Amino acid sequence: MTTSSSRYRITHKTHYRYTDPVAICQNQVMMIPRELPRVKCRDAEVHIQPPPGLSSSHVDYFGNPVHTFSIETQHRELTVIVSSDVEVTATSFPRADQTEPWETVRDAISGGNNPDWFSVCEFRYPSSMVNTGEKFAQYAQQSFYPNRPILEAGLDLTKRIFRDFKYDVNATRVDTRAEEAFGLRAGVCQDFAQIEIACLRSIGLAARYVSGYLRTIPPPGKPRLVGADQSHAWASLYAGQRLGWIDLDPTNACLVATDHVPICVGRDYGDVAPMRGVVLGGGNTSLNVSVDVVPIDADAG
Amino acid sequence: MSTTTTIASAPFDGYSAPSGHYDECFSRDGSPRPAFGPLVSHINTLGRDSLETLVAEGAALVRESGVTYNALEQEGERTRPWELAFTPLVIHAAEWKALDQGLKQRTRLLEAVLDDLLGPQRLLRERVLPADVVLRNPEFLRAYHGLPKSGGARLHVIATDLARDPNGVWCVTGDRTRAPSGLGYLVENRIITSRAYPELIQRSNIHRIASFFIRLRRMFESLSPRPSQNPRVAILTPGQKSYRYFEDTYLARYLGYTLVQGRDLAVRNGMLNLKTLGGLLPIDVLWRHVSDEFCDPLELDPAAVEGVTGLVQAVRSGNVGIANSLGSKLTQSPSLLPFLPAASRFLLGEEPILPTMTTLWCGDRDSCRQVLNDLDRYIIRPAFTIRGDRPTRPRDLSQHAREELMSAIRANPHQYVAQEPIPRSATPVWRDGRMQSWCVALRSFQIQFAGQVDVLPGGLVRVSPTSEGVENPHHSTQLGQDCWVVADGPVDQSSTLLPSPHVPLRFVRGGAELPSRVAENLFWLGRYSERAEAIARLLRTTMLRLVGEQSAADTPEMPRLIAALAAIGQIEPDYAVKELQGGLPSLDDALPKSLYTIDQQRGLSPSVSALADKATAVRDRISLDAYRIVQQIQEELAQPVQIRAKSDTRLAIARLTRLITGLLAFSGLGSESFTRTLGWRFLQLGRRIERAWQTAELLRATLVDLDSMSRAARAQAAKSAATGLRPDKDAKAIAGETTDIDTPGTKVSGQVAEQFLNRNANGATPTAKPASSQASAQPATNAAATDSAPSQRPHVSDERPVLEAVLEATDSIMTYRSRYLLRLEPDATLDLLITDETNPRSILFQLERIAEVMGPLPVEADEVGVPYDRRLAFDLLHRVRMAQPTLLATASPAGRRESLDHLLEILTEGLPELSNAIAARYLIHTVASQALTGQV
Repeated sequence: MTTSSSRYRITHKTHYRYTDPVAICQNQVMMIPRELPRVKCRDAEVHIQPPPGLSSSHVDYFGNPVHTFSIETQHRELTVIVSSDVEVTATSFPRADQTEPWETVRDAISGGNNPDWFSVCEFRYPSSMVNTGEKFAQYAQQSFYPNRPILEAGLDLTKRIFRDFKYDVNATRVDTRAEEAFGLRAGVCQDFAQIEIACLRSIGLAARYVSGYLRTIPPPGKPRLVGADQSHAWASLYAGQRLGWIDLDPTNACLVATDHVPICVGRDYGDVAPMRGVVLGGGNTSLNVSVDVVPIDADAG
Repeated sequence: MSTTTTIASAPFDGYSAPSGHYDECFSRDGSPRPAFGPLVSHINTLGRDSLETLVAEGAALVRESGVTYNALEQEGERTRPWELAFTPLVIHAAEWKALDQGLKQRTRLLEAVLDDLLGPQRLLRERVLPADVVLRNPEFLRAYHGLPKSGGARLHVIATDLARDPNGVWCVTGDRTRAPSGLGYLVENRIITSRAYPELIQRSNIHRIASFFIRLRRMFESLSPRPSQNPRVAILTPGQKSYRYFEDTYLARYLGYTLVQGRDLAVRNGMLNLKTLGGLLPIDVLWRHVSDEFCDPLELDPAAVEGVTGLVQAVRSGNVGIANSLGSKLTQSPSLLPFLPAASRFLLGEEPILPTMTTLWCGDRDSCRQVLNDLDRYIIRPAFTIRGDRPTRPRDLSQHAREELMSAIRANPHQYVAQEPIPRSATPVWRDGRMQSWCVALRSFQIQFAGQVDVLPGGLVRVSPTSEGVENPHHSTQLGQDCWVVADGPVDQSSTLLPSPHVPLRFVRGGAELPSRVAENLFWLGRYSERAEAIARLLRTTMLRLVGEQSAADTPEMPRLIAALAAIGQIEPDYAVKELQGGLPSLDDALPKSLYTIDQQRGLSPSVSALADKATAVRDRISLDAYRIVQQIQEELAQPVQIRAKSDTRLAIARLTRLITGLLAFSGLGSESFTRTLGWRFLQLGRRIERAWQTAELLRATLVDLDSMSRAARAQAAKSAATGLRPDKDAKAIAGETTDIDTPGTKVSGQVAEQFLNRNANGATPTAKPASSQASAQPATNAAATDSAPSQRPHVSDERPVLEAVLEATDSIMTYRSRYLLRLEPDATLDLLITDETNPRSILFQLERIAEVMGPLPVEADEVGVPYDRRLAFDLLHRVRMAQPTLLATASPAGRRESLDHLLEILTEGLPELSNAIAARYLIHTVASQALTGQV
């Protein structure tokens, strides 16, 4: 890793086209990057077309910004563009084999002198899309054998999921639960992340779901393609008081550094879905999403 | 017992509470407790016989009041009447005062706990409660966190369940903080019990409950986010299928609030609105009886249809007052019970006044061990969610089931609580001719208003022969009981629910505030009541001919009546074809039996159940008397009959007559006791459209063809061809009205239709007959010949019996006789039934009313010209007005009344079309909504 921090201008465009007119739509957007220890959001703007009659923002239970709006004029198209200016700092990790044994972390979560305990506690339990259970625990224990250093075990689990599961956009849907994807041995980043979370929670560790973007690096000599970047998701593991939350990307078998830009954090996809809405009418809907993650030159910033 | 029992022994003689239970009525020395004293001596003075009469009269009152109780909380389960024990539970005011203090404190505590859990969560952070008990609770949906309060509180109406232990101490067994049920039953119990003991009530200084409801109403009004003199408060009910539907309609009527369902509501511009025929009306306060997680498909369960999209945001923006707070389900979780004393010390700095039933949460390791070591001592319940089913009693389980339970607890300890059952106090209940001693469960109700807690003096009491019986909330041996709190001195008697006379009242003419859903139900209520009446009349007319003195040969109208009955689906279509009748049970048997066939798709029985169903759906909109009549109508058909009696024609006729009387009473109420609101208009529209249609169908089946057999066959063939193509059927599928059947003839299968056609072609060839425009003048003797020899060339039969039957079935025979005496002529008959605008049974009369009623219905502001639905109505009206009875009565040389057939065809097609047009314009407001996700 050469740079310790990167700054990006992110443009996330969501476009719906309907075959029938929509009378009313009511939506919630979770695309504004939240502040995290290693993430700084300098500026974020939401543009909606047609202009909403009503919009408001609040911060949810997990600390994520939520933008709510409704459009009550008849429309056949909806465009939501969120652009933000984000700086991501890479965490410097100790050597993986020198981190604490994972059981120590597990037992200390609700220990009396851990100041983080309450904020971490939440992420140990099953949630609506991530169940826990013996199957997940058995799978996890192959990486998390007794006394293994937590980072080493976490990286191993991340790599095994990458190896054992097939990336297949047709295998699952947006509401597929971890258990089903685990059975299918296939899915997309959302499923990979939720499977890893289920494994970690099933052995008593705390893990959370991170929605975000992944910057794509063009092949040497090729220009960067506009709109080719992607919405992404990965898992985050609580690795003890000293290390805090470490982000693991099972879709790419790596630790998360500065190419990943987190937006929101929750227990599973259901807590951080970037866009949800209810429309009245509309007929058939076609959706087009494009994401641009453009590095901003540090000097120009 | 050595006491001698005389024949005239007093009801309380020999009464005693089971040992080990506190006796509510008598103290240990055998004398009545002071509060119970007057009741005991009153009942003893009445004596057994009078008490028995009083109980029987009371039970009749309960039945009449229509109070029902959905016993199993299961869909499709029939409701049963609420049953009441006519002895109240009597508690002395001094004793109540202690309870009152304890309940006030508990209400404040639960409020503080909920406010903390939905806010700073100090209880968890500072480990007063184990974090798991909340964070693992599936009822704790994070979307509720941080929402604002309404009127400075989160818990506006709550209930507390209590049991009195053997030492006479009241203990809390559970809390209801979401949307407690029981207030409606409580009011009804009080009303009925008061009627049973009028003098006793007068002199007993009983605390009135009305003042509680006055405070309740003020409280709701105070939750309005907008300053308004008359805020609109609505009760959001989960709907007809819910166990609480009866009570929701009851409370809506009692308190004068609008009863709404999720699909009546819309959030627009951040405000909650009621969708009405006249447009959107803002709702200021919502008393929600829908479960927390189903309140908003946008932010909570996307599949939920009981709530309304955007409600959470409307609450978050403070645009609607909501009671109780979203998320209030959390504090009724049994898993919290063990920790409430600690929470009370932490949040209030107070020791709890009321003890709580010993409860252990198995998520705590030590508690779990204790429970598993001594399992039989406890009852086991789910820790987080209150469910309708009974708790598990390990003591009663088989060894195998017990072990399964233990391993389930070990696997997921946090999902269970164990409670030590309390032997509940016992109170007198008159049952089976003797005074028994049953166990008591008391539910108290509290409201929070303006920083103060009000406790309802009394409560909802349930009694059952055993403690276990009351713990299972839907036990069949349970009875309800009134609860009297009696003072030594006079209590405030002046309270009434009526508003203060000092507030000037603004006069209004109701109407616009009609939810589209209600309009739809009223429309169908009108249609089904009219359909049931038409079928019942036709059936009675037909059966009267079966039991008459004449032989079948003397009743030439029979085949036509049968054809008409077959056309409306009351009997097998095969009966309409003489050749097919041989293989069928005789009509003497089949007709009366058809009254009791509940599995037919159309016909009388389904129409009556659909009628009852629609009446239930609009229960808060029709008068109690009207509802009672509908119940009686339904019971008339539902009453059990012995198999043999089912084929008793005379019995069936008697029933039909009572049924018709009931239906007439119902329509009479519809015209005399229903204000001319929009709701009434839809009821009328349904009624008029159906009556016109039924008459047109009847005339088509009976008077178009002069020869009965060819007519019947042709009618069936035509119906069959139309199967499934009727536009009204398709429209209703869109509206979701799958239960409403609107298509005579749909039951006729294609195969049968084909048989009809073949038979018509191969059998008696309907060749041209000699022209006879004076068909009715044919001598009667010919009719018999025609019927006994169907394969002969069709003859023109004597039509008079047919005319008479048709007039009878349309309730117009009296009018006809008064005009024309005994001369039965087709043109006069057709005039009376079609074109006579003064006969309330004529088609023209119906069409004129339809046009009148449609006039003031709301139209879009920018609409130009006559809307489609009105054009259809005016067109039909015009055609019928212009029709000439003499022309209608004229038959072609082939023996058909072509112009009558033409007119009736227009009507039988145009009326369903009109019904659809009205539905499309006013009633179908359910444009499909869909969920958006951000993923392809």
